[in-house]
Amino acid sequence: MLQVLIQGLLLSGLYALIAVGFTLIFSIGRVLNLAYGAYLLIGGYAYFYFTQAIGLPKFAAVLLAAVIGCALGILKFLLIVRPLRGNHVAIEISTLILAVVLQSAVVLAFGDSSKILLPIIPGVERVAGAAVPYSNLFAAVMSWVILIALWIFIRSTHTGRAMQAVSMDAKGAAISGIDADRVNMITWAISGTLGAVAGVFFASYTQLYPGMWVAPLIIAVAVVIVGGIGSIIGTLIVAHIIGFMEVLVSTYLAPELRGIFTMVLIIAILVLRPRGLFGREEL
Amino acid sequence: MGLRWYHFALWIAFIGVMFALPEYVSKGTLRTLIFANFLAVFAISWDVLSGRTGYISFGHPFLIGIGAYTSAILTKRFDFPLEASIPIAVLVTMVGGLVVLLPALRIRGSYFALVTLAYMELMYQLVQVIRPDLTGGTRGMSGLPTLTRGAENGFYMSTCLMLAVALSTWLLMRTRLGTALSAIGMNEDAVSGSGLSVTRLKMVAFLFSAMLAGLGGAMYVHYLGSIAPRALFDINFVFTIIVAALIGGAGTTIGPIIGAFFLTFLLEYLRPWLPGAERYLIYGGVALVLYMIQPKGIFELVRQSLSKLRRAT
Amino acid sequence: MSAKLEIRNLVKRFGGLVATNDLTFTVEPGESVGLIGPNGAGKTTVFSQIMGEHRQTAGTIALDGREISKLSTPARIRAGVSRTYQVPRPFADMSVAENIRVGLMPDSVWQMISVGPDPARELELALAVGFSEDQLDRLPSELSMGDLRKLEMARTLATAPRLMLLDEVFAGLTVGEIAMISDVIQKMRGEGMTFLIVSHDLKALEPLVDRVVAINQGTLIADGSYDAVMADGAVRASYLGTA
Repeated sequence: MLQVLIQGLLLSGLYALIAVGFTLIFSIGRVLNLAYGAYLLIGGYAYFYFTQAIGLPKFAAVLLAAVIGCALGILKFLLIVRPLRGNHVAIEISTLILAVVLQSAVVLAFGDSSKILLPIIPGVERVAGAAVPYSNLFAAVMSWVILIALWIFIRSTHTGRAMQAVSMDAKGAAISGIDADRVNMITWAISGTLGAVAGVFFASYTQLYPGMWVAPLIIAVAVVIVGGIGSIIGTLIVAHIIGFMEVLVSTYLAPELRGIFTMVLIIAILVLRPRGLFGREEL
Repeated sequence: MGLRWYHFALWIAFIGVMFALPEYVSKGTLRTLIFANFLAVFAISWDVLSGRTGYISFGHPFLIGIGAYTSAILTKRFDFPLEASIPIAVLVTMVGGLVVLLPALRIRGSYFALVTLAYMELMYQLVQVIRPDLTGGTRGMSGLPTLTRGAENGFYMSTCLMLAVALSTWLLMRTRLGTALSAIGMNEDAVSGSGLSVTRLKMVAFLFSAMLAGLGGAMYVHYLGSIAPRALFDINFVFTIIVAALIGGAGTTIGPIIGAFFLTFLLEYLRPWLPGAERYLIYGGVALVLYMIQPKGIFELVRQSLSKLRRAT
Repeated sequence: MSAKLEIRNLVKRFGGLVATNDLTFTVEPGESVGLIGPNGAGKTTVFSQIMGEHRQTAGTIALDGREISKLSTPARIRAGVSRTYQVPRPFADMSVAENIRVGLMPDSVWQMISVGPDPARELELALAVGFSEDQLDRLPSELSMGDLRKLEMARTLATAPRLMLLDEVFAGLTVGEIAMISDVIQKMRGEGMTFLIVSHDLKALEPLVDRVVAINQGTLIADGSYDAVMADGAVRASYLGTA
């Protein structure tokens, strides 16, 4: 019982971190960023490269991965999203193409086989029969720290409030003198950073391989859809619903069924309540 | 329908070239062409739904998979003859797809794309877990009855399929139905404001698309003689279908064919230099650049340069 | 060619906002009625309820005595009511003729496939709203605002309505274009078409209507001849924003 609780909390924290970067883009740019999974991919591989190939300290590597994710987010905004502005279908399709391009770039640089990522903090603690690697614990704690920081940033800084304004009403925000382009770019940068950091944790949770971006993308999509577009609180709650559901299913039913329940949940919610459970189209 | 003499001339020329090909090209190229033919069928099927009505499906392998698995299971586990299993597979794809996706046709835009992606992933997980004695589980099935033997016969079979699909789609889309479907893609509210039941039109587009996907999927599986879930429900496969339709020219019938042949041969010509998945880097890059230059695809690029030429002379 | 519209006790709430407040008025067959009111008065919301794009919270909408509130938008159009939009919404990649073709289609998939388009009827409708024959192949991106409004009228007319709802037909038009659209409306009035017209341009509206209905904040404030409504204190106050 306690084991389920602990594993559920750890997995949910990670899912929340994965989903929140995706939520930001959807609520502000109203665009499905299908290349979001690729941030995780690039973040994971960047971390792998800096620690295990170059031998940098782990925290420096996480930081560098975050910087690369940030740069990637900005580049994508400047090169793809801005030129195609207004054409959602075109942006979504280009992001899908970009994701596949990045995946092949990774294959080209690191090969097709999967890599084992050394844990950020080695060691395992046994709690009530559950093995809790320090790495996962650290990932969950970091998720919470980052989410709270993001929440404070959006509520109380000038830029954060501008983001809120754009997400509610882009035209109105433009009239009040908010530079929507700048806000968009900052959002893409934050989203890229969050994605890359989430990628480091996700890769150490599972494994590092070129196709690893699809599963977190679907999780992000699931959390965001079920939680309601753009609601950070909703994202947090649903990350926990999905996280706990997966842990419960794999503990009490069968591990291979856990993805099925997630998909059925997404489809049911989308069809029955297209705006999500906590649907407000704002931050 | 506004058929002109040059329409006939172009179709006859196209059919003639396709059937003359085995005389001039190698067996290896024929095998590439077979894949291009199947990809063209899938891309046309995607285009009928997504290219025209603007309802982007990211889960088209879901439909292809229903057709492929139905026919594979019927022949392998229940000894159905191919003549029966393929039509049944097409029907099952249409009915099954409609039952699951009917509620999804209510929702618009990005949400529809997400539901279809979720369906594909669900199907991938289900075939591995539910009744693996029927579906072959993670490893899939092999040793299925095949329709033809040899590259040449396979080429004729796939070419006939592709041409039949292309010609019937082209004719159907030239009717007022085609105009109405394209109108949905441009402005759905204005279509319903013109007194047309948009939901029924989307359903017709979906059924036709599912029919082609089911037919293509069933024929493909009996060309290969095997089926593997990882290759079928793969995001790279979705990507190839969508990109073929888009860079050829979405919303047209010839566009997806051009796109399918262009992509298949691009991939094939890169093979000697880049044998692995790295080919997708070049291929994806080319697709991305082409798409950013002209979202309406190669067909539109050709059309524009032709009309420029005409104006110049 | 004409129809009677009866709106009784219509109420529409969006959350806490009351967009239409117990609204009752009638448009007699063959009559042309102006629907006026300041910005945000709820004129367009009335249109979208008549067309079924929004369902009313309470009240009834009847066409020729038949309650249409339960019908879908396409079914209401078949019943004989059709509208234009403030912002013209043409099918961007289709020519003028093809745009009109969509309006002419029957709501039957089988007939769409088996029966071809009717170019003569498309031309007739295009000419009726003031297009010239050589404009049939133009794309919407090549048309002026006035021409886009004409296209909108032609596509609406193609659905063979007996009652037409025109939403801000004069917005963004030049004086010449206003005169041209007015002529088209006058001609159709002569043929017996029933109109309900929303416009901010009261001067252009005056010669086109038999009667005016004024609303403010979703509530009816005046109903009568153009001059009587214009002289009404509540109407003047609402336009000055002091109501």
